Amino acid sequence: MANPLLEVKDLSVSYGDVRALTGVSLEVEEGTIVALVGSNGAGKSTLLKAIAGLKQAGSGQVLFEGEDITAVSTKHHVDRGIVLVPEGRRLFQTLTVLENLRLGAYLPKARTTFEESLERVFGLFPVLKERANGKAGLLSGGEQQMLAIGRAVMAHPKVVMIDEASLGLSPILTRRIFELIVALNQQGTTVLLVEQNIHMALNVCHKAYVMKTGHIMMSGTGEELLANPDVRKAYVGERGSKLV
Amino acid sequence: MTFIQVVINGLLLGSMYGIAAAGLSLIFGTMRIIFLAQGTVIVFFAFVTYWLFVKAHIDPYICLLIVVPFAFLVGLGLFYALFRKAAALEDKNVSLLLAVGLMYLIENSILKVWSASPRGLDISYSGISLVGGGLRVSVLRLILLVLALVSAFVVYMFLKKTRLGTAVRAASEDMEATTLQGINSVWVCAISFAIGIGLAGVAGVGMATVYSFDYQFGFSFAIKALVALALGGLGNVFGALAGGLILGIIENLTAFYVSISWIEAVSYGVFILVLIFLPQGLFGRRGVVKKV
Ligand SMILES: Nc1ncnc2c1ncn2[C@@H]1O[C@H](COP(=O)(O)OP(=O)(O)OP(=O)(O)O)[C@@H](O)[C@H]1O
Ligand SMILES: [Mg+2]
Repeated sequence: MANPLLEVKDLSVSYGDVRALTGVSLEVEEGTIVALVGSNGAGKSTLLKAIAGLKQAGSGQVLFEGEDITAVSTKHHVDRGIVLVPEGRRLFQTLTVLENLRLGAYLPKARTTFEESLERVFGLFPVLKERANGKAGLLSGGEQQMLAIGRAVMAHPKVVMIDEASLGLSPILTRRIFELIVALNQQGTTVLLVEQNIHMALNVCHKAYVMKTGHIMMSGTGEELLANPDVRKAYVGERGSKLV
Repeated sequence: MTFIQVVINGLLLGSMYGIAAAGLSLIFGTMRIIFLAQGTVIVFFAFVTYWLFVKAHIDPYICLLIVVPFAFLVGLGLFYALFRKAAALEDKNVSLLLAVGLMYLIENSILKVWSASPRGLDISYSGISLVGGGLRVSVLRLILLVLALVSAFVVYMFLKKTRLGTAVRAASEDMEATTLQGINSVWVCAISFAIGIGLAGVAGVGMATVYSFDYQFGFSFAIKALVALALGGLGNVFGALAGGLILGIIENLTAFYVSISWIEAVSYGVFILVLIFLPQGLFGRRGVVKKV
Protein backbone atom coordinates (compact mmCIF):
# COMPACT_ATOMS: atom_id res chain seq x y z
CA MET A 1 0.00 0.00 0.00
CA ALA A 2 1.14 3.52 -0.78
CA ASN A 3 2.17 5.85 1.97
CA PRO A 4 -0.66 7.71 3.65
CA LEU A 5 -0.86 11.38 2.64
CA LEU A 6 -0.27 12.50 6.20
CA GLU A 7 1.31 10.46 8.93
CA VAL A 8 2.01 11.32 12.55
CA LYS A 9 4.50 9.06 14.27
CA ASP A 10 4.93 8.87 18.02
CA LEU A 11 4.51 12.61 18.48
CA SER A 12 4.96 14.27 21.88
CA VAL A 13 4.33 17.93 22.59
CA SER A 14 4.59 19.97 25.79
CA TYR A 15 3.65 23.43 26.94
CA GLY A 16 6.57 24.24 29.21
CA ASP A 17 6.52 21.42 31.77
CA VAL A 18 3.00 20.33 30.88
CA ARG A 19 2.74 17.39 28.52
CA ALA A 20 -0.12 17.87 26.10
CA LEU A 21 0.55 14.96 23.74
CA THR A 22 2.29 11.67 24.45
CA GLY A 23 3.31 9.29 21.69
CA VAL A 24 0.50 10.12 19.31
CA SER A 25 0.38 8.31 15.98
CA LEU A 26 -2.18 8.58 13.25
CA GLU A 27 -2.57 8.22 9.52
CA VAL A 28 -4.66 10.15 7.06
CA GLU A 29 -5.23 8.52 3.68
CA GLU A 30 -5.57 10.69 0.64
CA GLY A 31 -9.15 11.62 -0.22
CA THR A 32 -10.65 10.63 3.12
CA ILE A 33 -12.26 12.43 6.01
CA VAL A 34 -10.59 11.59 9.31
CA ALA A 35 -12.19 12.66 12.56
CA LEU A 36 -10.40 13.30 15.82
CA VAL A 37 -12.67 13.25 18.84
CA GLY A 38 -12.21 13.39 22.58
CA SER A 39 -13.08 15.34 25.67
CA ASN A 40 -11.97 18.87 26.49
CA GLY A 41 -8.27 19.25 27.01
CA ALA A 42 -7.50 15.90 25.34
CA GLY A 43 -4.94 17.55 23.10
CA LYS A 44 -6.85 17.69 19.81
CA SER A 45 -6.07 21.31 19.03
CA THR A 46 -2.48 20.82 20.10
CA LEU A 47 -2.15 17.93 17.67
CA LEU A 48 -3.50 20.00 14.77
CA LYS A 49 -1.21 22.90 15.66
CA ALA A 50 1.78 20.58 15.81
CA ILE A 51 0.90 19.15 12.38
CA ALA A 52 0.51 22.71 11.03
CA GLY A 53 3.98 23.65 12.29
CA LEU A 54 2.58 26.21 14.71
CA LYS A 55 3.59 24.24 17.80
CA GLN A 56 6.98 22.62 17.99
CA ALA A 57 7.11 18.90 18.65
CA GLY A 58 9.21 17.59 21.54
CA SER A 59 9.77 14.29 19.79
CA GLY A 60 8.27 12.22 17.02
CA GLN A 61 7.59 12.97 13.39
CA VAL A 62 5.05 14.42 11.03
CA LEU A 63 5.30 13.03 7.52
CA PHE A 64 3.55 14.51 4.53
CA GLU A 65 3.64 12.58 1.26
CA GLY A 66 6.34 10.52 2.90
CA GLU A 67 8.52 13.53 3.67
CA ASP A 68 9.47 14.66 7.17
CA ILE A 69 7.95 18.09 7.80
CA THR A 70 8.20 18.09 11.60
CA ALA A 71 10.63 20.97 11.86
CA VAL A 72 9.68 23.16 8.90
CA SER A 73 7.80 26.42 9.24
CA THR A 74 4.06 26.93 8.84
CA LYS A 75 4.74 28.75 5.59
CA HIS A 76 6.15 25.58 4.06
CA HIS A 77 3.26 23.53 5.37
CA VAL A 78 0.82 25.87 3.67
CA ASP A 79 2.90 25.86 0.51
CA ARG A 80 2.95 22.07 0.45
CA GLY A 81 -0.79 21.90 0.94
CA ILE A 82 -1.59 21.47 4.66
CA VAL A 83 -3.82 24.20 6.00
CA LEU A 84 -5.39 24.62 9.43
CA VAL A 85 -8.75 26.22 10.08
CA PRO A 86 -8.16 27.12 13.72
CA GLU A 87 -10.49 26.73 16.65
CA GLY A 88 -12.65 29.84 16.95
CA ARG A 89 -12.25 30.62 13.21
CA ARG A 90 -9.79 33.46 13.77
CA LEU A 91 -10.97 35.54 10.84
CA PHE A 92 -9.59 39.01 10.21
CA GLN A 93 -12.71 40.74 11.42
CA THR A 94 -11.97 44.26 10.21
CA LEU A 95 -10.98 43.04 6.75
CA THR A 96 -13.51 42.31 4.05
CA VAL A 97 -14.57 38.80 3.10
CA LEU A 98 -12.61 39.11 -0.14
CA GLU A 99 -9.49 40.36 1.68
CA ASN A 100 -9.69 37.35 4.00
CA LEU A 101 -9.90 35.07 0.97
CA ARG A 102 -6.99 36.85 -0.71
CA LEU A 103 -4.83 36.29 2.35
CA GLY A 104 -5.70 32.60 2.16
CA ALA A 105 -4.02 32.59 -1.27
CA TYR A 106 -1.03 34.69 -0.17
CA LEU A 107 1.79 32.42 -1.28
CA PRO A 108 2.95 32.57 -4.91
CA LYS A 109 1.84 29.05 -5.76
CA ALA A 110 -1.65 29.60 -4.36
CA ARG A 111 -1.83 32.94 -6.17
CA THR A 112 -1.49 31.24 -9.54
CA THR A 113 -4.73 29.37 -8.88
CA PHE A 114 -6.49 32.33 -7.26
CA GLU A 115 -9.37 32.72 -9.72
CA GLU A 116 -10.02 29.01 -9.84
CA SER A 117 -9.95 28.72 -6.04
CA LEU A 118 -12.21 31.73 -5.63
CA GLU A 119 -14.74 30.16 -7.97
CA ARG A 120 -14.58 26.98 -5.99
CA VAL A 121 -15.13 28.79 -2.69
CA PHE A 122 -18.02 30.83 -4.07
CA GLY A 123 -19.46 27.61 -5.51
CA LEU A 124 -19.35 25.91 -2.12
CA PHE A 125 -20.42 29.02 -0.17
CA PRO A 126 -22.47 31.31 -2.43
CA VAL A 127 -23.27 33.59 0.51
CA LEU A 128 -19.61 34.64 0.61
CA LYS A 129 -19.93 35.98 -2.92
CA GLU A 130 -22.88 38.13 -1.90
CA ARG A 131 -20.98 39.44 1.10
CA ALA A 132 -17.59 39.68 -0.63
CA ASN A 133 -17.05 43.37 0.11
CA GLY A 134 -18.55 43.34 3.59
CA LYS A 135 -16.46 43.14 6.74
CA ALA A 136 -15.83 39.58 7.92
CA GLY A 137 -16.75 40.59 11.47
CA LEU A 138 -20.30 41.35 10.37
CA LEU A 139 -21.00 37.81 9.14
CA SER A 140 -23.17 35.45 11.17
CA GLY A 141 -21.52 32.57 13.02
CA GLY A 142 -22.29 30.07 10.27
CA GLU A 143 -21.09 32.41 7.56
CA GLN A 144 -17.91 33.06 9.52
CA GLN A 145 -17.21 29.33 9.67
CA MET A 146 -17.79 29.13 5.93
CA LEU A 147 -15.33 31.96 5.40
CA ALA A 148 -12.77 30.31 7.67
CA ILE A 149 -13.00 27.12 5.61
CA GLY A 150 -13.11 29.13 2.38
CA ARG A 151 -9.94 31.00 3.36
CA ALA A 152 -8.21 27.64 3.81
CA VAL A 153 -9.49 26.38 0.45
CA MET A 154 -7.94 29.46 -1.20
CA ALA A 155 -4.50 28.01 -0.41
CA HIS A 156 -5.29 25.18 -2.86
CA PRO A 157 -4.64 22.62 -0.13
CA LYS A 158 -4.33 18.86 -0.26
CA VAL A 159 -5.36 18.52 3.39
CA VAL A 160 -7.62 20.86 5.31
CA MET A 161 -7.58 20.49 9.08
CA ILE A 162 -10.67 21.94 10.73
CA ASP A 163 -10.75 22.51 14.48
CA GLU A 164 -14.30 22.49 15.86
CA ALA A 165 -16.32 23.58 12.87
CA SER A 166 -19.55 23.37 14.90
CA LEU A 167 -18.38 25.65 17.71
CA GLY A 168 -21.19 27.99 18.67
CA LEU A 169 -23.44 26.90 15.81
CA SER A 170 -27.04 25.67 16.00
CA PRO A 171 -27.68 21.99 15.16
CA ILE A 172 -29.15 22.96 11.81
CA LEU A 173 -26.13 25.10 10.90
CA THR A 174 -23.79 22.40 12.15
CA ARG A 175 -25.45 19.94 9.80
CA ARG A 176 -25.14 22.43 6.96
CA ILE A 177 -21.42 23.00 7.64
CA PHE A 178 -20.85 19.25 7.72
CA GLU A 179 -22.61 18.85 4.38
CA LEU A 180 -20.26 21.44 2.98
CA ILE A 181 -17.23 19.69 4.46
CA VAL A 182 -18.37 16.48 2.78
CA ALA A 183 -18.81 18.38 -0.50
CA LEU A 184 -15.29 19.76 -0.13
CA ASN A 185 -14.00 16.25 0.42
CA GLN A 186 -15.87 14.96 -2.63
CA GLN A 187 -14.03 17.55 -4.70
CA GLY A 188 -10.88 15.67 -3.73
CA THR A 189 -9.61 17.51 -0.67
CA THR A 190 -8.56 15.40 2.27
CA VAL A 191 -10.05 16.51 5.58
CA LEU A 192 -8.83 16.04 9.14
CA LEU A 193 -11.41 17.35 11.55
CA VAL A 194 -11.60 17.81 15.27
CA GLU A 195 -15.12 17.81 16.56
CA GLN A 196 -17.06 18.04 19.81
CA ASN A 197 -20.21 16.90 18.07
CA ILE A 198 -19.05 13.30 18.01
CA HIS A 199 -22.17 11.84 16.52
CA MET A 200 -21.94 14.12 13.51
CA ALA A 201 -18.21 13.55 13.11
CA LEU A 202 -18.44 9.77 13.30
CA ASN A 203 -21.22 9.76 10.74
CA VAL A 204 -19.33 11.58 8.03
CA CYS A 205 -15.78 10.30 8.51
CA HIS A 206 -14.04 7.36 6.89
CA LYS A 207 -11.88 6.84 9.94
CA ALA A 208 -11.76 8.26 13.44
CA TYR A 209 -9.39 8.50 16.36
CA VAL A 210 -10.48 8.92 19.97
CA MET A 211 -8.14 10.96 22.15
CA LYS A 212 -7.92 11.24 25.90
CA THR A 213 -5.39 13.19 27.98
CA GLY A 214 -2.80 13.38 25.27
CA HIS A 215 -3.07 9.81 24.05
CA ILE A 216 -4.89 8.07 21.23
CA MET A 217 -7.25 5.64 22.96
CA MET A 218 -8.95 4.03 20.01
CA SER A 219 -9.35 4.19 16.29
CA GLY A 220 -11.64 2.69 13.70
CA THR A 221 -14.29 3.52 11.16
CA GLY A 222 -17.10 5.80 12.22
CA GLU A 223 -19.54 2.87 12.40
CA GLU A 224 -17.20 0.81 14.54
CA LEU A 225 -16.74 3.58 17.06
CA LEU A 226 -20.44 4.45 17.09
CA ALA A 227 -21.16 0.84 17.87
CA ASN A 228 -18.53 0.70 20.60
CA PRO A 229 -20.24 0.71 24.01
CA ASP A 230 -17.37 2.63 25.69
CA VAL A 231 -17.49 5.38 23.11
CA ARG A 232 -21.27 5.54 23.30
CA LYS A 233 -21.19 5.76 27.07
CA ALA A 234 -18.39 8.31 27.26
CA TYR A 235 -19.20 10.68 24.45
CA VAL A 236 -22.19 10.06 22.28
CA GLY A 237 -24.96 9.73 24.87
CA GLU A 238 -25.52 13.21 26.17
CA ARG A 239 -24.24 15.07 23.13
CA GLY A 240 -25.93 12.81 20.60
CA SER A 241 -29.35 13.21 22.10
CA LYS A 242 -28.94 16.95 22.31
CA LEU A 243 -27.51 17.66 18.93
CA VAL A 244 -28.81 15.12 16.49
CA MET B 1 -9.44 86.60 11.76
CA THR B 2 -6.93 86.12 14.55
CA PHE B 3 -8.79 82.99 15.64
CA ILE B 4 -8.49 81.47 12.18
CA GLN B 5 -4.81 82.40 12.07
CA VAL B 6 -4.24 80.74 15.42
CA VAL B 7 -6.05 77.59 14.28
CA ILE B 8 -4.05 77.48 11.03
CA ASN B 9 -0.79 77.83 12.91
CA GLY B 10 -1.93 75.06 15.23
CA LEU B 11 -2.73 72.85 12.29
CA LEU B 12 0.74 73.43 10.88
CA LEU B 13 2.36 72.76 14.24
CA GLY B 14 0.29 69.62 14.67
CA SER B 15 1.36 68.05 11.39
CA MET B 16 4.64 67.02 13.07
CA TYR B 17 2.76 65.31 15.88
CA GLY B 18 0.57 63.71 13.25
CA ILE B 19 3.43 62.08 11.33
CA ALA B 20 4.98 60.84 14.54
CA ALA B 21 1.65 59.49 15.78
CA ALA B 22 1.01 57.70 12.47
CA GLY B 23 4.35 55.95 12.94
CA LEU B 24 3.48 55.01 16.52
CA SER B 25 0.16 53.66 15.34
CA LEU B 26 1.74 51.39 12.72
CA ILE B 27 4.32 50.07 15.13
CA PHE B 28 1.71 49.52 17.81
CA GLY B 29 -0.42 47.57 15.33
CA THR B 30 1.95 44.67 15.00
CA MET B 31 4.27 45.00 18.02
CA ARG B 32 1.62 45.94 20.58
CA ILE B 33 3.88 48.46 22.28
CA ILE B 34 4.05 52.23 22.38
CA PHE B 35 7.42 52.80 20.76
CA LEU B 36 8.71 55.38 23.21
CA ALA B 37 11.94 55.90 21.30
CA GLN B 38 10.03 57.34 18.31
CA GLY B 39 10.68 60.97 19.32
CA THR B 40 14.38 60.38 19.85
CA VAL B 41 14.61 58.55 16.54
CA ILE B 42 12.99 61.62 14.93
CA VAL B 43 15.57 63.86 16.58
CA PHE B 44 18.28 61.57 15.27
CA PHE B 45 17.00 61.99 11.72
CA ALA B 46 16.75 65.74 12.30
CA PHE B 47 20.47 65.68 13.14
CA VAL B 48 21.17 63.60 10.04
CA THR B 49 19.31 66.22 7.99
CA TYR B 50 21.22 68.98 9.75
CA TRP B 51 24.47 67.25 8.95
CA LEU B 52 23.57 66.75 5.28
CA PHE B 53 22.54 70.40 5.11
CA VAL B 54 25.61 71.82 6.76
CA LYS B 55 28.28 69.46 5.40
CA ALA B 56 26.95 68.68 1.97
CA HIS B 57 24.71 71.70 1.43
CA ILE B 58 21.80 69.53 0.45
CA ASP B 59 18.42 71.23 0.50
CA PRO B 60 16.32 69.73 3.31
CA TYR B 61 13.57 68.61 0.94
CA ILE B 62 16.12 66.86 -1.25
CA CYS B 63 17.33 65.29 2.01
CA LEU B 64 13.95 63.52 2.21
CA LEU B 65 15.05 61.36 -0.70
CA ILE B 66 18.07 60.25 1.29
CA VAL B 67 16.77 60.29 4.85
CA VAL B 68 13.49 58.43 4.34
CA PRO B 69 14.94 55.35 2.57
CA PHE B 70 17.80 55.42 5.08
CA ALA B 71 15.28 55.55 7.94
CA PHE B 72 13.40 52.61 6.45
CA LEU B 73 16.60 50.56 6.35
CA VAL B 74 17.50 51.62 9.89
CA GLY B 75 14.01 50.40 10.87
CA LEU B 76 14.58 47.00 9.31
CA GLY B 77 17.99 46.76 10.94
CA LEU B 78 16.69 47.75 14.37
CA PHE B 79 13.86 45.27 14.11
CA TYR B 80 16.03 42.31 13.23
CA ALA B 81 18.81 43.27 15.65
CA LEU B 82 16.69 44.20 18.67
CA PHE B 83 13.02 43.43 18.44
CA ARG B 84 12.70 40.24 16.49
CA LYS B 85 12.90 37.91 19.49
CA ALA B 86 11.10 40.25 21.87
CA ALA B 87 8.22 40.79 19.44
CA ALA B 88 7.46 37.08 19.52
CA LEU B 89 7.10 37.04 23.31
CA GLU B 90 3.75 37.11 25.00
CA ASP B 91 5.11 39.62 27.50
CA LYS B 92 5.26 42.95 25.68
CA ASN B 93 7.17 44.62 28.50
CA VAL B 94 10.43 43.29 27.06
CA SER B 95 9.85 45.21 23.83
CA LEU B 96 8.81 48.28 25.76
CA LEU B 97 11.94 48.20 27.89
CA LEU B 98 14.05 47.68 24.79
CA ALA B 99 12.47 50.81 23.31
CA VAL B 100 13.33 52.78 26.44
CA GLY B 101 16.90 51.48 26.39
CA LEU B 102 17.18 52.33 22.71
CA MET B 103 15.89 55.83 23.41
CA TYR B 104 18.64 56.58 25.92
CA LEU B 105 21.25 54.91 23.77
CA ILE B 106 20.37 57.13 20.80
CA GLU B 107 20.05 60.21 23.00
CA ASN B 108 23.49 59.77 24.45
CA SER B 109 25.03 58.86 21.13
CA ILE B 110 23.68 62.08 19.65
CA LEU B 111 25.13 63.93 22.61
CA LYS B 112 28.53 62.35 22.00
CA VAL B 113 28.54 62.88 18.24
CA TRP B 114 26.88 66.27 17.90
CA SER B 115 27.20 67.78 21.40
CA ALA B 116 24.45 69.24 23.54
CA SER B 117 23.98 72.53 21.78
CA PRO B 118 20.66 73.06 20.04
CA ARG B 119 20.61 73.08 16.24
CA GLY B 120 18.42 74.59 13.60
CA LEU B 121 18.72 74.95 9.87
CA ASP B 122 19.40 78.30 8.34
CA ILE B 123 17.32 77.84 5.23
CA SER B 124 17.46 80.67 2.69
CA TYR B 125 13.72 80.63 2.02
CA SER B 126 12.63 80.15 5.62
CA GLY B 127 11.21 83.66 5.85
CA ILE B 128 8.82 83.27 2.93
CA SER B 129 5.13 83.28 3.79
CA LEU B 130 1.92 83.14 1.85
CA VAL B 131 -0.19 86.14 2.65
CA GLY B 132 -3.84 86.60 1.76
CA GLY B 133 -7.18 87.50 3.26
CA GLY B 134 -5.50 88.84 6.33
CA LEU B 135 -3.84 85.44 6.96
CA ARG B 136 -0.20 84.57 6.87
CA VAL B 137 1.20 81.07 6.41
CA SER B 138 4.88 80.16 6.58
CA VAL B 139 5.86 78.18 3.50
CA LEU B 140 8.11 75.81 5.46
CA ARG B 141 5.29 74.90 7.79
CA LEU B 142 2.82 74.56 4.95
CA ILE B 143 5.17 72.13 3.23
CA LEU B 144 5.31 70.19 6.47
CA LEU B 145 1.52 69.86 6.51
CA VAL B 146 1.58 68.68 2.90
CA LEU B 147 4.31 66.17 3.80
CA ALA B 148 2.19 64.84 6.65
CA LEU B 149 -0.87 64.47 4.43
CA VAL B 150 1.11 62.82 1.64
CA SER B 151 2.84 60.41 4.04
CA ALA B 152 -0.44 59.40 5.64
CA PHE B 153 -1.98 58.91 2.21
CA VAL B 154 0.91 56.77 0.99
CA VAL B 155 0.79 54.59 4.10
CA TYR B 156 -2.98 54.32 3.82
CA MET B 157 -2.76 53.20 0.19
CA PHE B 158 -0.07 50.70 1.09
CA LEU B 159 -2.24 49.22 3.84
CA LYS B 160 -5.42 49.18 1.77
CA LYS B 161 -4.27 48.33 -1.71
CA THR B 162 -1.24 46.07 -1.53
CA ARG B 163 -0.95 42.43 -0.64
CA LEU B 164 1.74 43.11 1.96
CA GLY B 165 -0.26 46.00 3.39
CA THR B 166 -3.28 43.74 3.79
CA ALA B 167 -1.02 41.27 5.58
CA VAL B 168 0.10 44.08 7.92
CA ARG B 169 -3.53 44.82 8.78
CA ALA B 170 -4.18 41.12 9.27
CA ALA B 171 -1.16 40.77 11.54
CA SER B 172 -2.30 43.77 13.59
CA GLU B 173 -5.44 41.82 14.27
CA ASP B 174 -4.24 38.26 14.72
CA MET B 175 -0.60 37.30 14.35
CA GLU B 176 -1.12 33.57 14.68
CA ALA B 177 -3.93 33.49 12.13
CA THR B 178 -1.68 35.46 9.80
CA THR B 179 1.05 32.86 10.19
CA LEU B 180 -1.51 30.18 9.41
CA GLN B 181 -2.04 31.69 5.94
CA GLY B 182 1.59 30.87 5.20
CA ILE B 183 2.57 34.50 5.72
CA ASN B 184 5.96 35.23 7.23
CA SER B 185 4.69 37.30 10.13
CA VAL B 186 8.20 38.24 11.30
CA TRP B 187 8.76 39.93 7.96
CA VAL B 188 5.36 41.62 8.17
CA CYS B 189 6.24 43.00 11.62
CA ALA B 190 9.63 44.12 10.33
CA ILE B 191 8.01 45.96 7.43
CA SER B 192 5.48 47.79 9.57
CA PHE B 193 8.19 48.73 12.05
CA ALA B 194 10.40 49.96 9.21
CA ILE B 195 7.58 52.06 7.79
CA GLY B 196 7.04 53.53 11.26
CA ILE B 197 10.72 54.47 11.36
CA GLY B 198 10.49 55.73 7.77
CA LEU B 199 7.77 58.09 8.99
CA ALA B 200 10.16 59.14 11.74
CA GLY B 201 12.55 60.02 8.93
CA VAL B 202 9.93 62.28 7.35
CA ALA B 203 9.24 63.84 10.74
CA GLY B 204 12.97 64.26 11.34
CA VAL B 205 13.41 66.27 8.16
CA GLY B 206 10.31 68.26 9.07
CA MET B 207 11.66 68.89 12.55
CA ALA B 208 14.95 70.14 11.15
CA THR B 209 13.17 72.62 8.88
CA VAL B 210 11.00 74.32 11.50
CA TYR B 211 12.33 73.62 14.98
CA SER B 212 15.38 74.27 16.97
CA PHE B 213 16.20 70.88 18.45
CA ASP B 214 18.69 69.24 20.77
CA TYR B 215 19.47 65.69 21.85
CA GLN B 216 16.90 65.69 24.66
CA PHE B 217 14.03 66.98 22.60
CA GLY B 218 12.89 63.50 21.61
CA PHE B 219 11.20 62.11 24.67
CA SER B 220 8.79 64.97 25.21
CA PHE B 221 8.08 64.83 21.52
CA ALA B 222 7.26 61.12 21.73
CA ILE B 223 4.86 61.90 24.55
CA LYS B 224 3.19 64.54 22.39
CA ALA B 225 2.83 61.97 19.64
CA LEU B 226 1.34 59.64 22.22
CA VAL B 227 -1.22 62.29 23.15
CA ALA B 228 -2.02 62.69 19.46
CA LEU B 229 -2.40 58.94 19.16
CA ALA B 230 -4.77 58.84 22.13
CA LEU B 231 -6.81 61.63 20.55
CA GLY B 232 -6.95 59.95 17.17
CA GLY B 233 -7.40 56.41 18.36
CA LEU B 234 -5.24 53.37 17.71
CA GLY B 235 -5.31 51.40 14.52
CA ASN B 236 -6.02 54.12 11.98
CA VAL B 237 -3.34 56.16 10.21
CA PHE B 238 -5.57 59.10 9.33
CA GLY B 239 -6.99 59.09 12.86
CA ALA B 240 -3.46 59.44 14.23
CA LEU B 241 -2.72 62.28 11.82
CA ALA B 242 -5.96 64.03 12.73
CA GLY B 243 -5.12 63.56 16.42
CA GLY B 244 -1.82 65.33 15.81
CA LEU B 245 -3.47 68.22 14.00
CA ILE B 246 -6.06 68.61 16.77
CA LEU B 247 -3.33 68.58 19.42
CA GLY B 248 -1.48 71.29 17.50
CA ILE B 249 -4.62 73.41 17.40
CA ILE B 250 -5.28 72.91 21.11
CA GLU B 251 -1.70 73.91 21.92
CA ASN B 252 -1.81 76.99 19.79
CA LEU B 253 -5.17 78.12 21.11
CA THR B 254 -3.85 77.68 24.64
CA ALA B 255 -0.72 79.63 23.86
CA PHE B 256 -2.65 82.48 22.34
CA TYR B 257 -5.70 82.78 24.54
CA VAL B 258 -4.30 81.52 27.86
CA SER B 259 -0.56 81.54 28.12
CA ILE B 260 2.40 79.74 26.62
CA SER B 261 3.25 78.37 30.03
CA TRP B 262 -0.06 76.50 30.11
CA ILE B 263 0.53 74.53 26.89
CA GLU B 264 1.91 71.41 28.51
CA ALA B 265 -0.62 71.29 31.32
CA VAL B 266 -3.52 71.65 28.91
CA SER B 267 -2.19 69.00 26.48
CA TYR B 268 -1.77 66.43 29.21
CA GLY B 269 -5.09 67.41 30.75
CA VAL B 270 -6.74 66.67 27.40
CA PHE B 271 -4.74 63.44 27.20
CA ILE B 272 -6.09 62.24 30.53
CA LEU B 273 -9.65 63.35 29.81
CA VAL B 274 -9.62 61.52 26.49
CA LEU B 275 -8.31 58.35 28.09
CA ILE B 276 -11.01 58.49 30.75
CA PHE B 277 -14.01 59.39 28.65
CA LEU B 278 -13.09 58.30 25.15
CA PRO B 279 -10.49 55.55 25.43
CA GLN B 280 -10.97 54.52 21.79
CA GLY B 281 -10.09 58.07 20.68
CA LEU B 282 -12.04 60.31 18.36
CA PHE B 283 -11.60 58.18 15.26
CA GLY B 284 -10.52 54.87 16.78
CA ARG B 285 -11.66 51.49 15.71
CA ARG B 286 -14.25 50.16 18.06
CA GLY B 287 -13.11 46.91 19.58
CA VAL B 288 -9.49 47.98 19.99
CA VAL B 289 -10.39 48.87 23.55
CA LYS B 290 -12.37 46.02 25.02
CA LYS B 291 -14.56 46.56 28.04
CA VAL B 292 -14.12 44.05 30.81
N1 LIG C 1 -1.01 27.71 25.36
C1 LIG C 1 -1.04 26.74 26.28
N2 LIG C 1 -0.25 26.81 27.37
C2 LIG C 1 -0.25 25.84 28.30
N3 LIG C 1 -1.02 24.75 28.24
C3 LIG C 1 -1.84 24.61 27.18
C4 LIG C 1 -1.90 25.60 26.15
N4 LIG C 1 -2.79 25.20 25.24
C5 LIG C 1 -3.29 24.02 25.66
N5 LIG C 1 -2.71 23.66 26.83
C6 LIG C 1 -2.97 22.42 27.56
O1 LIG C 1 -2.74 21.33 26.71
C7 LIG C 1 -3.73 20.35 26.86
C8 LIG C 1 -4.39 20.07 25.53
O2 LIG C 1 -5.07 21.23 25.10
P1 LIG C 1 -5.82 21.31 23.72
O3 LIG C 1 -6.26 22.68 23.52
O4 LIG C 1 -4.97 20.70 22.67
O5 LIG C 1 -7.08 20.37 23.97
P2 LIG C 1 -8.36 20.14 23.08
O6 LIG C 1 -8.51 18.67 22.97
O7 LIG C 1 -8.30 20.90 21.84
O8 LIG C 1 -9.51 20.71 24.01
P3 LIG C 1 -10.86 21.45 23.63
O9 LIG C 1 -11.82 20.38 23.27
O10 LIG C 1 -11.25 22.12 24.90
O11 LIG C 1 -10.57 22.40 22.54
C9 LIG C 1 -4.70 20.88 27.91
O12 LIG C 1 -4.37 20.28 29.14
C10 LIG C 1 -4.43 22.35 27.96
O13 LIG C 1 -4.65 22.84 29.26
MG1 LIG D 1 -9.36 22.45 21.04
